[in-house]
Amino acid sequence: MTEQERDHQGWPTPESDLIAATEPPAHDASADARLGLAAREALAREAAEREAAAREALFGDGWTDDLDRGPDRGRDAGRGGGLTLALSFRTRLTIALVAASIIPLAGFGILLLILDPAAGQGATLGRILLFILVVAAISGILLAYLLAADLTAPLRAIAAAVDRASAGDLSTPIVVPGEDELARLADSHNRLAADLERRNRELGRILQAIQSGSPHDSQDFIAGRAANDARTAFGMIDAYVLLVDPSDIAEEERIPGESLPIRAVLRAGTEDLGVLVGHLPATRLWERADQDLLELYASEVAVAIRNAQLFARVESQNSQLLELDAAKDDFLRGVSHNLQTPLTSIRAYADQLGRDRPDRRLGIIGEQTDRLSRMVRQLLTVTRLESGALHPRSEVVALAHPVRRAWEALAVSDVPLTVDDQSAGWLAVADVDQLDQVLWALLDNALKYGDRTPITVEIAPDPTQNRLRLTISDAGPGVAEGDRGRLFRRFERGAERSADDGSGLGLYVSRELCRAMDGDLVLEPHLAGRGAAFSVYLPGEPPEDV
Amino acid sequence: MLSGPGGHETAPRILIVDDDPNLLVLLADQLRSDGYEIQTARDGDEALRRLRSSWPDLLIIDMMMPRMDGLSLAREIKGRADLPIIVLSAIDAGDSKADLLDEVAEDYVTKPYHYPELRARINRVLRRLGDKVPRQSLVLGTNLTLDLHRREATVGSETVQLTPTESRLLYALAANLGQTVATDTLLARGWAETEDADPSYVWVTMRRLRQKVEVDPNRPVHLQTVRGVGYRLVMAGPDSGRSDTAPPTND
Repeated sequence: MTEQERDHQGWPTPESDLIAATEPPAHDASADARLGLAAREALAREAAEREAAAREALFGDGWTDDLDRGPDRGRDAGRGGGLTLALSFRTRLTIALVAASIIPLAGFGILLLILDPAAGQGATLGRILLFILVVAAISGILLAYLLAADLTAPLRAIAAAVDRASAGDLSTPIVVPGEDELARLADSHNRLAADLERRNRELGRILQAIQSGSPHDSQDFIAGRAANDARTAFGMIDAYVLLVDPSDIAEEERIPGESLPIRAVLRAGTEDLGVLVGHLPATRLWERADQDLLELYASEVAVAIRNAQLFARVESQNSQLLELDAAKDDFLRGVSHNLQTPLTSIRAYADQLGRDRPDRRLGIIGEQTDRLSRMVRQLLTVTRLESGALHPRSEVVALAHPVRRAWEALAVSDVPLTVDDQSAGWLAVADVDQLDQVLWALLDNALKYGDRTPITVEIAPDPTQNRLRLTISDAGPGVAEGDRGRLFRRFERGAERSADDGSGLGLYVSRELCRAMDGDLVLEPHLAGRGAAFSVYLPGEPPEDV
Repeated sequence: MLSGPGGHETAPRILIVDDDPNLLVLLADQLRSDGYEIQTARDGDEALRRLRSSWPDLLIIDMMMPRMDGLSLAREIKGRADLPIIVLSAIDAGDSKADLLDEVAEDYVTKPYHYPELRARINRVLRRLGDKVPRQSLVLGTNLTLDLHRREATVGSETVQLTPTESRLLYALAANLGQTVATDTLLARGWAETEDADPSYVWVTMRRLRQKVEVDPNRPVHLQTVRGVGYRLVMAGPDSGRSDTAPPTND
């Protein structure tokens, strides 16, 4: 082995010299150690076996991993651990350094003394010298290596434990026998791990407590439970959550030997909702980290309480809204009843009179009554739309039928209607009543704004999207460009349209009704020769043969 | 059948309850001229008094009445006897009470009523008298329970809502459980007041119903198609898979 290689191994010879010079007792220790070596061998083997078994039981896989990485080193460490049980870390380190530096030099010196009388046999002497130098160096390195392995074993055990701790396993303590620096290091690691584990446990209980909450709980219930949970989680003697201004609760003084008062303010955002106070057993250590944890818990409790307050407020508002909604429904039902009942009578008597004595004027009374009654319904529908209370009862229907029915209801004789039915048996899925309102409004619109030009209704399926399109168009002037965007808004009519008829609700209500039926109502783009064109889209079903 | 109270040996008796005398007189006139025997009542109390002396075949009840409203009256009557009821009201479909009506009334007609439509509905309800399904759950198998009076079906563990027409069709099928009901019969049951309905209404509605009540709509267990004839509703038993006589179709 060359000088270079030794350097590479990290054993700086000059410094070893220094230690050897300044600490002569170490030499003795080294000698003691070597003298007792044979005697200790048996003891050491036994101790090594015991320790290996203990390590196997304690470290399990972690140690096996180490073995996999370097089986030789693992075994060496196992043996080394037992080799110098009683010696302190510093002593062992010293022995190692001294051994590494002294032994080759000492060996070399002894050789020189032995071989001095035989001086003169130059060539042989040189060879023997070289041989002995090499043997001494190798034995020195070997001894140093064994001692180093002995030293690094506990260090490796500590490193592995820290790795385990950072990976989350805090329950396995490090076993380093003795009282030396390494044992103390292991001890403090074990204490740190135990502290961490305790706080983790507390944190776990806190999280569990927080998660078990429900927004339906009242704030008093949450406060009571939070106090209880805090008591269990932190091992407190007593704990209270007081939902008052924290400054109203005076801080307790700490009296040595008596139970330890602790407190944390329940703070949600910038708002102080109350304070958590309690007592710990006098023996319990309460550190900064514990206080932090308690404050974290208090702030979580504060958030839960604030949520409960908000939830209770929303709940009460909801029930108020429901009451209002029911009251509105009652009111609307009354309005509808009071308006529709007389209209029903007028309509029915006009019909009856007309049957007995046909008269065009009676027909007009009937039609206008119908119109009025539909407008009442439209207004009611608008009010319902606002509360989102449309419950379409969708049934299948062939669209051509309701179109003809709505047209008949309008009783127009001077405007031609063409129904171009290309539905090929497709049926729409729609609430017949709501669809009737939509068709009536669209046809009425086409009559009003189409300058009494012919009206065309085209019905066509769109099999790719499983829907039907129904387009109602006239040959009138169409919709002015500026009106297109606002046509479907509430109470809007086209600017150029007269304000003397209609509520301005027809298109708005119709679109909303279509959407409630999972369909839509759109204004088609301008086409040469066509006036205004509106398309109703509704879910469709293909025909089926038996 | 749609034009009059045919099918009855004596004229059907109808009790109309409405607080508006104009309407009461007029509707009574209209129905009498079509051959019905009509009694009238001005409010709930009068109606209940009349019921003590004789039971009509059908009641037409106004929803909004002073003191006892139509809904309470209908509940009161249903509590005593399962008389068919048509509610006449200005209520619109968005009203929260519209759904409540289904529980107590066989049908409802909105004001202002269209007389021919009202008459068609009266006749349909009267015709259905013979095949009433009890107001209780009908368990057809582990995966299907029908609560038609609530317009609900329980498929597996889920509750699905049925439309009025769907529950009417299921009524008709359940009343003839295991037997084939002709498509035309179902059409008449489901769409009595829609003169222009055709058999495709039945086909498509049945397909949609199957989507709702069958666990696997492509392999119907309960709602089977009898090709060229009609449909039938069957219980799912050990022999429910037997399909040699009438194979369920995958449509």
